[in-house]
Amino acid sequence: MNLMANILIQVIIAFLAGSLLLGLHRKIMARVQRRPGPPIIQHLLHSLKFFFKETGFPKTASKPFYIGITFILALIWIVGVIAGPVAHDSLLILFGVYAVYKIVEHNSGSSSGSPYGKLSCVRAVLSAATELPLFAAIIFVYLVTGTMNIGEIIAYQSVHGPLIFSIPLAALMFFMLIITKSPYSPFAITKDKVLISGFETEHYGLLRGFMHFSESIAWYVMLWVFLTIFFGPLTAVGYLVGMIVITFITGFINATTPIFSPNHSVMTQITIGAICFFGTILMIFTGVVA
Amino acid sequence: MNSQKIISIIVLVLSTIAILACLVINLETWIVYTVSIFGIPAWVLSLGLLTMAKPKPEDAEERVKEPFTGY
Amino acid sequence: MDFVTLGGNLLGTIPLGDIVLYVNPFNLFLFAVLLGFTALIAVSKPETQVEAAKFNTLDNAQVKVDEKEFRQRRFLSVICGIASAGAMITGDLFNFTLFMALVGILNIGIVSAVKQTSVLNSAFNYGLIAMMCSLPLFGGASIILASTGTLSLAVLSQMHASPMVVFGAILMLIGILGESGVAPFFASKAEMFRTPGSPFIVIIHLSSLFIIVRAVEILLLVLW
Repeated sequence: MNLMANILIQVIIAFLAGSLLLGLHRKIMARVQRRPGPPIIQHLLHSLKFFFKETGFPKTASKPFYIGITFILALIWIVGVIAGPVAHDSLLILFGVYAVYKIVEHNSGSSSGSPYGKLSCVRAVLSAATELPLFAAIIFVYLVTGTMNIGEIIAYQSVHGPLIFSIPLAALMFFMLIITKSPYSPFAITKDKVLISGFETEHYGLLRGFMHFSESIAWYVMLWVFLTIFFGPLTAVGYLVGMIVITFITGFINATTPIFSPNHSVMTQITIGAICFFGTILMIFTGVVA
Repeated sequence: MNSQKIISIIVLVLSTIAILACLVINLETWIVYTVSIFGIPAWVLSLGLLTMAKPKPEDAEERVKEPFTGY
Repeated sequence: MDFVTLGGNLLGTIPLGDIVLYVNPFNLFLFAVLLGFTALIAVSKPETQVEAAKFNTLDNAQVKVDEKEFRQRRFLSVICGIASAGAMITGDLFNFTLFMALVGILNIGIVSAVKQTSVLNSAFNYGLIAMMCSLPLFGGASIILASTGTLSLAVLSQMHASPMVVFGAILMLIGILGESGVAPFFASKAEMFRTPGSPFIVIIHLSSLFIIVRAVEILLLVLW
């Protein structure tokens, strides 16, 4: 198939599947909290609706950045789709994508001039510590499989079985990242309701719709990467079931846990990361992992 | 027509042409990647800038008087 | 280990004598993002930061970046962007540490022009840590040079890591962590972001984050 057609199809799938999964996530949270909740399709409708809403750019905003940052957010997740589902390239690129995602949180908060966005921006710096478990998880995947290439990791797993069974703690670290990035997560200190919508507070109308578009792709890509590097070669149905299951689990966790204060959030993440890190090192050196 | 609208139309047309060109002709891999990485977000953003509703002239000043600080 | 297993297929090298700059998809992505951000910084005006400071009135306090401060900070930010972009594609260990040290100095420079005391205090604290950590940073690189006789990553990646190289790499890691102000040291750095001028403070965060990402690649190259 033509490469461009492949990319376009993957991006559209990522957008639609990501939107529906985020809608499902909201529905599950509502049902756990004994509310009816919006229809599953609502997140998708919202993203599209915002494109036709009245939009203005705040007088106080740092103009090229205020719009440019939403463009960068979309751009990096398109890179994510290409490096992941399309080309099966290096895992490190996805790590770079995730690092830029943090920068977007940081800058879209501060570029608007809003005090809420600014606080979200400072918190984004604090929560940069959540990077470290992801690093560790990726390095452990490398140590076990001997490659960073997603295609080769899939090939390794089809011979040796899914990595979740050999390095479960590294998978847990990665799963922590997914929880952190899910909406209403206990670790989402940059989107705390104290800060209105956090870094997105001043991005309304079209720009919010555009950010929803990118975040739907982001959710899909993160779930895809998790399923691919820990659950081995999967069919399309396998991916679908896996994504729905993970969305269910994160929905339950987020519905039942309150949001942490910034210092507790960072400390909890670092503690879980450290336990998993040393646990996996122990497993590797005692020979539990082949 | 203000400059924002003109720029949006130009970007929309350029990105559409670039994406269609990659669909029709089999170009080198890196060109396709570059076009899709920049073209797809540019297409969505410029389309959005054209479809978004503008505030009425008498409200325009009020709308940009963000940020809202709760008072 | 070589470049190919880590960052994707090698796209090309730029041989400048001993220092071989090399580009693979991973480096290219980081490099391009940094240059893109630098270009945006060069054309952006700073925002007016609104602070709900006056609790007795309905007014908001607005903090602006004045013209002179703006020019100085923009200049330093652009240099910081270019320096960190250089660190992304360099194939030489010592170059990387030099860029790292330069980024550390520029990070302090970017906030040193503001007039908020808390921000300056935090920049001072960060500066102390950065200075202290330049010793392990350069020390680690020189230990690696002394024990292997080369600083080229292409050669180092093919070598077996001796205990001395591991020691040097650990020293370098400590240096990088301190210079970029992450994990154990980020508390001193977070306060620096309370000042207005979002295009300039973003490069502080961006450069340190990306250098950490790149440092992990380099340490993996050297150690495995």
